[in-house]
Amino acid sequence: MATIDGSNDSTGSNDSTEPEGGPLARWTKSVIEDQEKRERLYRALFIVAAGFFLLTTLFPFYWLLVLALTPTSRILTGDWSLPIIGIEFPHPQGFNVYAFVEMFEQVPFHLFMFNSFVLAISTTVIVLAVATLAGYVFGRLDFPGRGVLMLVVLMISYFPPAAFLVPLFDAFLGNAVVVPFLGIELFESPRLVNTPASMVLPFSALFLPLAIFILTTFYSQIPDGLEDAARVEGTTRLGALVRVIMPLSAPGLATAAVLTFITVYNEYFFSSIMALENNPENWSPLLGGILSYQTQYTTEFNLMAAASIVGVLPIVIIVIVAQERIVSGLTAGGLKE
Amino acid sequence: MANLTLEHVTKRYEDVTAVDDMNLDIDDGEFICLVGPSGCGKSTTMETIAGLTKPTEGTISIGDRDVTTLPPKDRGVAMVFQNIALFPHMDVYENISFGLRLRDYDKEEIDRRVEHATDVVQLEGMLDRMPEEMSGGQRQRVAIARAIVREPDVFLMDEPLANLDAKLRVHMRTELQRLHKELDTTIIYVTHDQAEAMTMSDRIAVIDGGELQQIDPPLVCYNEPANLFVAGFIGSPSMNLLRGRLTANGAETDDFAIDLDVENVPGASAGDDVTIGIRPEDVYPTDTQGAISTPSDPIEVTTDVLEPMGDQIFVYLTFDETDAGAMRGDATGSDQLLMSVDPDRDIEEDESMEVVFDRTKVHLFDDASGDALVHGVEDLTSSGFETRVSETRSGEADE
Repeated sequence: MATIDGSNDSTGSNDSTEPEGGPLARWTKSVIEDQEKRERLYRALFIVAAGFFLLTTLFPFYWLLVLALTPTSRILTGDWSLPIIGIEFPHPQGFNVYAFVEMFEQVPFHLFMFNSFVLAISTTVIVLAVATLAGYVFGRLDFPGRGVLMLVVLMISYFPPAAFLVPLFDAFLGNAVVVPFLGIELFESPRLVNTPASMVLPFSALFLPLAIFILTTFYSQIPDGLEDAARVEGTTRLGALVRVIMPLSAPGLATAAVLTFITVYNEYFFSSIMALENNPENWSPLLGGILSYQTQYTTEFNLMAAASIVGVLPIVIIVIVAQERIVSGLTAGGLKE
Repeated sequence: MANLTLEHVTKRYEDVTAVDDMNLDIDDGEFICLVGPSGCGKSTTMETIAGLTKPTEGTISIGDRDVTTLPPKDRGVAMVFQNIALFPHMDVYENISFGLRLRDYDKEEIDRRVEHATDVVQLEGMLDRMPEEMSGGQRQRVAIARAIVREPDVFLMDEPLANLDAKLRVHMRTELQRLHKELDTTIIYVTHDQAEAMTMSDRIAVIDGGELQQIDPPLVCYNEPANLFVAGFIGSPSMNLLRGRLTANGAETDDFAIDLDVENVPGASAGDDVTIGIRPEDVYPTDTQGAISTPSDPIEVTTDVLEPMGDQIFVYLTFDETDAGAMRGDATGSDQLLMSVDPDRDIEEDESMEVVFDRTKVHLFDDASGDALVHGVEDLTSSGFETRVSETRSGEADE
């Protein structure tokens, strides 16, 4: 017994004095064994990853700010090398805050923003109203063909929006909708171009599947007993949906609403075509407004940058507010039975 | 407050019949327990009464009003759910007043009723708590308060105590009985716990396979079960059911015989297969048979397993010389006999002894239909008999 103990001791001391492997293996081993070292490594990795993410997301905004503050004449001709160090790096060439006023003087940018808000809000309302009913049906009722229908809804959401553009534009111009090859006239659409309807209708259709999917998931998680209780207490099915299921699915509703709102607010492709010119009267959105600073002969980069910053601010505010709501909804919901 | 009638209520799903031709006639102010094993259709029956599912056939009326097609909110029923189902986003006051607020009662009336309801279930001073901050028993009280605040015609309780721990369950059981006495409202109570059913209800409705087996006061269900299912389901531990047959001299199994005049057993004749039922407390060791005046012939048995319960000892007995019978391993026609004896009795495992049955407590069931033939065989040797199963009741049980 004594010899076995002795040999164990000697191997133990060998390990501590002469570690095996090269420096990397030794370091790896020490990280695995030493909790403090491990935590330091995790913190370092977190800082690197978060720093990289912040740099890549925030740098464009910094650049926008640089462009907005630099007068137009110096954007193309200015000396971008940093003082003293001499390396070329984007930094403000002057402090032309007046750009944020001038952008409203040259173009009625507030009207473009108003258009974007109207489009985004009406789309969000339509999408939430329809998706709530659809989500209730898909999430809480059992009927034959539910899976197939859900699949169809999801499939449609994967179609490229551009595929719908030409026929929709044709119809919204007021032309009759005709079955291809057969020539049978189905109906004649009113002329919707240059109206909010020409944008809200396709947006709603395009963003519905995602909202339906989100709400279906949330609504299906509400225990049946709660809905039954509400119905026995005196609500209809619809009443139970509004009074019990929707409040308990607040995080899901907020997610669907925020996603829809932001996507429509930022939308350019459909609206640039459905609004025939970049005029606020034609319901051209925010992006149409930004492009109006570009004329045939001049491009006012500083004003475009200033307008971009102003346009982004509402989204920043909404995200911050909604994020708080989502987090509080998640913690207060507590679906305990 | 109102009576409740179910006529020929049937609920069929695609491939199963959950409720099969259910007829119930429940009086105003009665406390009815629906009992049965899991999946027997008692909860579905409850849901059809509440209006959460529509019956495939049949009519439901509450207080002379046909409610079969009415939505739940217009039926005048309140329900307490097995999973309690408090609205997690509302505090206690909002939960209790939910139904009243929907019906646009004025604020003072709501406050008055909520106060009364919380008084009844002893929840004072908790109105601003959220459900997640409360214990299981408190939540259950809130659910009951939510039901009584609307002063419904009929209370439906779907296993309301199933999710509580054993001690709280016994406590809430007495609370519910007190509540029933106080409110005097019709209560339909679903449970699979036959102890709850026995202690609380005015009448027990035993359901199996979607069909009503028997509806009678608890002690009638216990003492005069309508058929084999009720006999096996009501009572804990359940009745000994021993498979045998009728002969010219009486009923006999492979192991013992009971004298009786077969002529006097209604609806049966010699040669029929029957099941002999005897409750554990009606089996006596021969040395204590002085306690009963109507013992059967002694039966030789050997004790097997003992289960001391404190207030009594359950003794599993095997019949002597029944190797062939033991091999049969039949579920109902068991070769085992359970007896309960006085806890002070000196008894050991593998002890040979003789036992007798109390003849007034021996039940005979027809094997073919499962229906009870007779309860108590003492007087069957002479002209009269103890309790013959009346024609009407066996007719009801058939339904």
